[in-house]
Amino acid sequence: MDFAFSDEQKMFRDTIYRYGKEEIAPLCEEADLKGEFSHEIWNKMAEMGVLGLPFPEELGGQGADIVMCCIAGEALGHAGVDGGSLLAWGAHTYLCACNIFNFGTEEQKKKYVPKLASGEWIGCMGLTEPGSGSDAASIRTTAVKKGDKYILNGSKTFITNAPVAEVAVVFATLDRSKRHEGITAFIIEKDFPGFSTGKPFHKMGCKVSATSEVFFEDCEVPEENLLGEECGGWQIGLSGVEWDRSTLLSPFLGASIYSLELCAKYANERHQFNRPIGKFQAVQHRIADMKVFAEAVKLAIYRVASAKDNGVMLNPLQAAVNKVYAGDEGFRMASDAVQIFGGYGFMHEYPVERNFRDAKLGAIGGGTSDIMRMIVSRIMLM
Amino acid sequence: MDYELTNDQKELQQDMARFCKEEIAPKAKVLDESPSDKIGAIIKENLKKLAKVNYLGLGIEVRYGGSDLDLVSQCIAGEEVAKACASTFLSAWSSAYMFGAMLNLFGADEQKGRYLPGVVKADVIGALAYTEPDAGVDIAGIKTIAEKKGDKWVINGTKDLVTNAPIADVFLVLAYTNTDAESGSGMTVFIIDKDTKGISVGKPIETMGLRGAPIAGINIDNCEVSDDSILGGETGKGLSQIERIFENGKIGMATMAVGIGMACTEGATQYAKDRKAFGRQIGKFQEVGFKLADMFTYNDLGRMLTYRAAWGFDKGEKEANILASCAKLFAGEAITNIANWSLHVFAGHGYLKGTDVERLYRDARFCEIGYGTSEMQRSIISKDALDKFAS
Repeated sequence: MDFAFSDEQKMFRDTIYRYGKEEIAPLCEEADLKGEFSHEIWNKMAEMGVLGLPFPEELGGQGADIVMCCIAGEALGHAGVDGGSLLAWGAHTYLCACNIFNFGTEEQKKKYVPKLASGEWIGCMGLTEPGSGSDAASIRTTAVKKGDKYILNGSKTFITNAPVAEVAVVFATLDRSKRHEGITAFIIEKDFPGFSTGKPFHKMGCKVSATSEVFFEDCEVPEENLLGEECGGWQIGLSGVEWDRSTLLSPFLGASIYSLELCAKYANERHQFNRPIGKFQAVQHRIADMKVFAEAVKLAIYRVASAKDNGVMLNPLQAAVNKVYAGDEGFRMASDAVQIFGGYGFMHEYPVERNFRDAKLGAIGGGTSDIMRMIVSRIMLM
Repeated sequence: MDYELTNDQKELQQDMARFCKEEIAPKAKVLDESPSDKIGAIIKENLKKLAKVNYLGLGIEVRYGGSDLDLVSQCIAGEEVAKACASTFLSAWSSAYMFGAMLNLFGADEQKGRYLPGVVKADVIGALAYTEPDAGVDIAGIKTIAEKKGDKWVINGTKDLVTNAPIADVFLVLAYTNTDAESGSGMTVFIIDKDTKGISVGKPIETMGLRGAPIAGINIDNCEVSDDSILGGETGKGLSQIERIFENGKIGMATMAVGIGMACTEGATQYAKDRKAFGRQIGKFQEVGFKLADMFTYNDLGRMLTYRAAWGFDKGEKEANILASCAKLFAGEAITNIANWSLHVFAGHGYLKGTDVERLYRDARFCEIGYGTSEMQRSIISKDALDKFAS
């Protein structure tokens, strides 16, 4: 048992944190207010190299393991980078590029991964549909093989990065009656005939990531763009659980540390009734809870991440537990932070306001807290 | 970075689980239901059994019969004891992991040699006497005083809520040796055998839960001891010694919470499988199933925080005391909820006197109280966080 971060990991965290704080965080308030994808922030993340973090150097990446990826996510959240920008990064790197890297042919990897790793191309992943969220096996987007092409019909929704993406990994079914056993993954380029995206949604939080619907109208996909095998899509969808429950949660951990620090500073500076509000126990109570939350989530995330790096088989209970706790309790903590700031916390210019909106996604995206509890209770009752 | 238990730790966990299920758990009900003047004999028998698997020596130096394992391993083993019988856990922890650990950390060699081999074998049962009727976590408020008269120390005072007092052979007693000294440097811990003249243990106190862990007050009336009885041999170290061992207390409470949480979660899960209503297992209803999920979640994370804090002490981390407060606060509040949810899954059947879940519910409540209430932990944690960002 060893909970320590190595010196290399600490230095890496420091570098990313400093860069995020100096170069990216100052751009986030305005970007969030605009509520649009920010190419400026994207380019900064690309410059830093995080977009290709987990890929080997020969494919333009940094060769980082999953713990390093989490450290980067935590550090950027801690630095004050908004949840939307970090979500855009997560969807791009972990949901799109990682799937191509893990399941693609040599040609596919060479064609897509370097350009995704550099950020020149933006990637997204399409699974969710208007009528199919957590019940992913019920998707209706169909794929039919015609000659050397697959013809896709249907639509996807809530697809992070879709409005700005050049490349999409999407899931369609070859046979709806087979439910999850018919699901197949494809790599789509935005110029493929019959592919289009909707207008970006106006979201409550994580506003700097662009999210929209995706449409397939007799969309023609060359057969070499099949990802993995026919009917092998379900496994691809499931394979990323360790990544989802660690790397995608790490920005939320970082944001909670950022928020704790902001609250502690504010509670020291803000005076009411002739003393700092930090002298009042109700304020102390919330600050203590934020610290406990950050410590617990840190353990939850790095446990799943380090197990994957060390080749230990995933404990599905632990992965679900992370999501339940980080999502539900994280939102409560973000709400407490607003409360400490009082009226100021309700104002856009205070980052706790943005974090409150961004944090809600933690209990929704990638499987709601309810679904996580369903998974945990099912396993317990087996 | 590696969050997995080592092979040795896994083995310890399995061995303790098997042993506690067979030897300790069967006595939990009778310990809970016996009147307070009858539990002494049963708990002593349990401590003897734990000594046979060297549980009481896990943290004690090898030369005194212990196995000198790290605090994480002590938590791993302790969870299993607490799961089987929280009263036994508390009594054993108080003797070996509080009294014993304090001697192990601060005792002079002669003092260690005199008591530790006995503690390891459960021939000697120890107790820590610092709480007083008017002083709990605010330790500076104690009134017990030791005055030097000739070559003797004469001690007077009253101690309250001393776990193990009714069965203890020896006490560590906190007293002021210099009331004029700067705060913190006027207190001293004395090692006092129970037969010393002037020591009288009060009647066992009845408690809501943990009824198998004997507890009583102590009256100290012109009790005379010599310099040899000063823990570590030096006066004025008492407060820092007690504060350090308090950290073991926090870890112990968190460990107990995790152990009770396992018993609550397993019990409720089994019941949710067995019990049927409206034609299906009640666990299939989300109101029940999701409670089980929350029980598992909070138990699991409480355990991680406890190991993390214990590991921090093992490695000498500066922030270990804050992490211990985090673990104690989290696991303590978690078990209050977990025990409540567990009883609720059993519904009417959980409300019956004599059921496991009803006992666990009462036992659980102490985890938020002992070694600093949840409120105290929050105060410690927030002070640290606020100080870090003081302008």
